[in-house]
Amino acid sequence: MRAYPLTWRLLDVLETGLEKVFPRRLAGITPYLMLAPAVLLVGLLVLGLFQVADGSLRTLDTTTFLMSESYSLDNFRRALSEPLFRNVAVKSFAGSLIVTAMTLVLALPYAYVMVRTKSAALRKILLIALFLPFFIGQVVRAYGWLIILGNQGLVNEALSFLGIGPFRLIYNYPAVLFGLIQYMLPFAVLMLAPAVTAIPEETEAAAESLGANWIQTFIHVVLPMARPGFVGAGLVVMTLSLTDFAIPAILGGGSQDFIANAIYDQFFRTSDQGLGATLALLLVAAGSTLVAIVFALVGTGTLQMGRAKQ
Amino acid sequence: MAVAETGLDRLAVEGPVGSTAVSVRNVNMVFGDYRAVDDASFDLQEGKFLTILGPSGSGKTTLLRMIAGFQAPTSGEIAINGIPVGHVPPNKRSIGMVFQKLALFPHMTAAQNVAFPLKMRRFDARTIPARVAKYLDLVKLGGFANRRIHELSGGQQQRIAIARALVFEPDLLLLDEPLAALDRKLREEMQLEFRRIQRELGVTTINVTHDQREALVVSDEIIVMDKGRIQQNAKPSATYRQPSNSFVAGFIGVTNFLSGSVTDVTDSEVAFIAGTQPLCGRWVATDVRPSAGQSVKGAVRAEQIRVAATPDRLDDLQTTVAGSVMDVIFEGERVVYEVRLASLQDATIRVFDHDPSQHAEFEAGARVFVGWNARDVLVFAE
Repeated sequence: MRAYPLTWRLLDVLETGLEKVFPRRLAGITPYLMLAPAVLLVGLLVLGLFQVADGSLRTLDTTTFLMSESYSLDNFRRALSEPLFRNVAVKSFAGSLIVTAMTLVLALPYAYVMVRTKSAALRKILLIALFLPFFIGQVVRAYGWLIILGNQGLVNEALSFLGIGPFRLIYNYPAVLFGLIQYMLPFAVLMLAPAVTAIPEETEAAAESLGANWIQTFIHVVLPMARPGFVGAGLVVMTLSLTDFAIPAILGGGSQDFIANAIYDQFFRTSDQGLGATLALLLVAAGSTLVAIVFALVGTGTLQMGRAKQ
Repeated sequence: MAVAETGLDRLAVEGPVGSTAVSVRNVNMVFGDYRAVDDASFDLQEGKFLTILGPSGSGKTTLLRMIAGFQAPTSGEIAINGIPVGHVPPNKRSIGMVFQKLALFPHMTAAQNVAFPLKMRRFDARTIPARVAKYLDLVKLGGFANRRIHELSGGQQQRIAIARALVFEPDLLLLDEPLAALDRKLREEMQLEFRRIQRELGVTTINVTHDQREALVVSDEIIVMDKGRIQQNAKPSATYRQPSNSFVAGFIGVTNFLSGSVTDVTDSEVAFIAGTQPLCGRWVATDVRPSAGQSVKGAVRAEQIRVAATPDRLDDLQTTVAGSVMDVIFEGERVVYEVRLASLQDATIRVFDHDPSQHAEFEAGARVFVGWNARDVLVFAE
């Protein structure tokens, strides 16, 4: 008998064993079995969502600090009518829109240079710079910005040498947006890089030979062809910044609350679980609507998911 | 180098036929210590179809990219219509290019692809639709204007790429092996299509390919390149019949090389002995003469050799050699015999039989005679 390589024989043994435990005729259900853990996980989250929905319909009795037994829509009325929450919602939505736009504008050149550069050293530096922030937690990074931008921070120290300042660079809205953009940039670059890689360099050369300068090539060829990356990166940045907690909390110093901070306050400061649950539900609804609108406008196909066109 | 000079002399002798569309002068391209293009010079007359033919790594694509403006030569000068284009970027050159992978814009329709260069080159917007329609008709895709690129077949995509490269009426059309990925039947169809369109518009064209058949079929002139150097610049028939060196002889067609050493030199012929077999042939190089004892190789094409069972059937040929059939390859329109020649140190040669009376006249192992004429043997220095 011919001696097959050891790995082949090992695989044969494994396959025979597998056949005993999991007969081949059950192979049809294998994909569903592999899907099961993910479904289970999402299912648990949905169960939690039901719990939250239940809570959102109960109001807090301020005398006993207990949740009411009966259901009412009071929390929703409060969440949608009180100026405090409207203010928080406007701040969060406007903020996440600005952050998304700015992040994409900054991420595209980064991704483009990283993919297209002929210098292996430059590509390595850009990649390291991209992944380095992931090793430093969001909270640590936010505190880092406090050190740099604070009243006695590096920037104001440097400015005082020039005889100007100090300026108030933190605990305001721009500081929160700045922190969010800085936090989101690596995500956006990571999602845009494959989209840029998918554009053949020859296509850009063709545009050039057909008479386009580099700006025209960028506008008419690179941008439209990178659209799947923009949609994906935009969605990720938008939803992440809309629901962010740490950056508004730390760089906003309590004065620039986003929705997540408001929810936290309701749960852990005023202990109004009902109102917190309501805000959480509204956030989930708003986020899902946003994603649904984007998918309806551009189609999921642009994310290059689903079967590729030939 | 001798070959390049011969090419230039030829043009000088013929005098001004048309104006020179492309002029390449002593162009070098050096990457580190690798010489991709080595002192290339040629002129191309307006309206001509030139093919740069060579194996991969011969420098042909680098030369084309320099003409297109994507790379700047290390030294030397390229002029288009008499104007040096050394520092002119590609988008300021009047050059249409069809790329190897076509590089069509997938987010645009066929018509939008063809209109792209017109918009970029600021053609009068009112004339654009008519012009796009005209060029879609030229490539026989009039009814496909609103198709997306991925809705077109491979051949149709080729045609859109051609229309896009020609619609702005460039001075020069460059083809960077656009047919390489097509299957044979479609490729041959598109070769003729390129030829038709080129003749119809009279646009000066430079085509790059490694496909010798394509070069012979489509071109007015062929430049053969190897190792960065231009080996020969001539008309297709001359490239085939009078290769200037053994590389060209071996690269185009199926050529048998018979190595030997010179025994005698007359005015027009060189006698040499290969193994124990005395042979005779024509000396090709004009700049040097062979000397007795020099190592040479004679090149004889497979279709110029005949095979027969007995030597008397090859009476009209000057050289006959006994051999034995090693292999028989049936290719449809011809049968290829591989014949081993004992008197030539067991050299194996290939012989085409274009008129087999049956499937094949001989079988492997058969004793045969092969013969050829001395004028069909081109002798090169080893």
